[in-house]
Amino acid sequence: MNLRDRQRAFASALFTGTVPEGVDPRGMAVHANNYRSQLVACLRDSYEKTALWLGDGVFDAAASRYVERHVPSSWTLDAYGESFIPFLEQAYPADDEVAELAWLDWHLRRAFSGPDADTIGVGDLAADDWDRVEIDFVPTLRFRPVRSNAVAIWRAIADGVSPPAPVAVEQGVGARVWRNGLSPQFASMTADESACLDLALTGASFGELCDYLGRTHDQERTTRIAGGCLGAWTAEGMIRGLRR
Amino acid sequence: MSHPSPIPFHGFGLGLRIPHYTDFLEAPQPIDFLEVISENFMVDGGKPLDVLMRVREGYPVALHGVSMNIGSSDGVDSHYLRRLRRLAERVDPLWVSDHLCWTGIDGHNSHDLLPLPYTGEALDLVADNVHAAQDALGRALVLENPSTYLAFPETAMGEAAFLRELCARTGCFLLLDVNNIYVSATNHGFDPDDWLERLPLDRVRQVHLAGHSRGRDMLVDTHDAPVPDPVWALYARFIERLGDVAVMIERDDSIPPLPELLAEVAHARDLADAARQHVA
Repeated sequence: MNLRDRQRAFASALFTGTVPEGVDPRGMAVHANNYRSQLVACLRDSYEKTALWLGDGVFDAAASRYVERHVPSSWTLDAYGESFIPFLEQAYPADDEVAELAWLDWHLRRAFSGPDADTIGVGDLAADDWDRVEIDFVPTLRFRPVRSNAVAIWRAIADGVSPPAPVAVEQGVGARVWRNGLSPQFASMTADESACLDLALTGASFGELCDYLGRTHDQERTTRIAGGCLGAWTAEGMIRGLRR
Repeated sequence: MSHPSPIPFHGFGLGLRIPHYTDFLEAPQPIDFLEVISENFMVDGGKPLDVLMRVREGYPVALHGVSMNIGSSDGVDSHYLRRLRRLAERVDPLWVSDHLCWTGIDGHNSHDLLPLPYTGEALDLVADNVHAAQDALGRALVLENPSTYLAFPETAMGEAAFLRELCARTGCFLLLDVNNIYVSATNHGFDPDDWLERLPLDRVRQVHLAGHSRGRDMLVDTHDAPVPDPVWALYARFIERLGDVAVMIERDDSIPPLPELLAEVAHARDLADAARQHVA
């Protein structure tokens, strides 16, 4: 057997839990155990709060099913759990908070070692023509709409207090994750803020955000919401610059 | 391509792990160098790199990888090597090491250190891969002997002979993991002293000392326990023959408070001093 065939047969056996031809099954058992236990441990590490929410037994069972179906391909183990969020969405279709907790876990971890960026302060918020200003966000920023109170659950687990019961939240509400300096952050967003962030991330100008808000709010409220978003995003270290 | 000159003896060090970041950032510790897992720092930014660069101000650092996949029929991954080179340029490490193993094929990655059949074909392949990696990194590689749990029927030579020939063909250096030798020798029933006898000792750049656990059928390289007495005994015999070589305590799991590991570093230093006096 040439080396490529040997390695293909060995890898196939490792991923399927079998023993390749001519190999001591006792030694193969060590590698099979290393492979599976390391991947389950990796998922538990990447999805720490999700694991605490589900409980060790339930989480490990889900992780083992994921490992059976997903062979790692990246050079870094950190990337292994990338498809675990849609896997949990399918596994827990009636429990929105599970995949949403996992989304927070995953993106907070990504933000932890994501690209660095300098940010502007509230004092840098100046423009001659705000209508045309586009917002340049830090590269670690991610957001998603949420259907549950996963943000409050995640925060309670992190604080070591009893988490609230899962409940549905208003349609359009969202969550955002980013890194401020060296510290990963997360926050929930109202439906208005969530829509504004979605627009801003696709390149909409500040004027276009106001136009969007103006469809459902009067001018005073539109100005207050848009200004509030910009002020909060700046103060919380989400903006690295304004494109004028 | 020209490789930088070998960096000489760097004393007695420790593998840097997260629970000890604060210890190293807040006060000087009695060690000569630190080793970090390369992949943990081959990231875009954030706290890991910030910590590493602050630690680097106080200590020489060696980069030790687990994913170079140097023994794979796929060849080396240029994307991985570019990231590693970027890290090395940032850190200016003592050296860059990985393992004599393969981790995956056909684009898959087991994230385990998988054994190679020690054949002429494997030697040709690994030598080609080492050349490619050294060219991509612009420096000589340091390769570690892994713990092994099985052998292949097509094996044609011993691990030490394989390493000797690999060093001769590529100019790479060796990281001698004494625990791994003990684990492999116990599992396969060979004499570790005989193994060392066949190794090109002048190519050994670094020594790892670690612990292992006893599995159902064999010893397993878990690196989650103190260095056990048989590994200390083997190290005491080896260090007499190795002379001045960098020695490091490696703990990857069940990480104890730093003073426990510093005591192991001190013991490694004492044994090396005793060996030096014995030889003199």
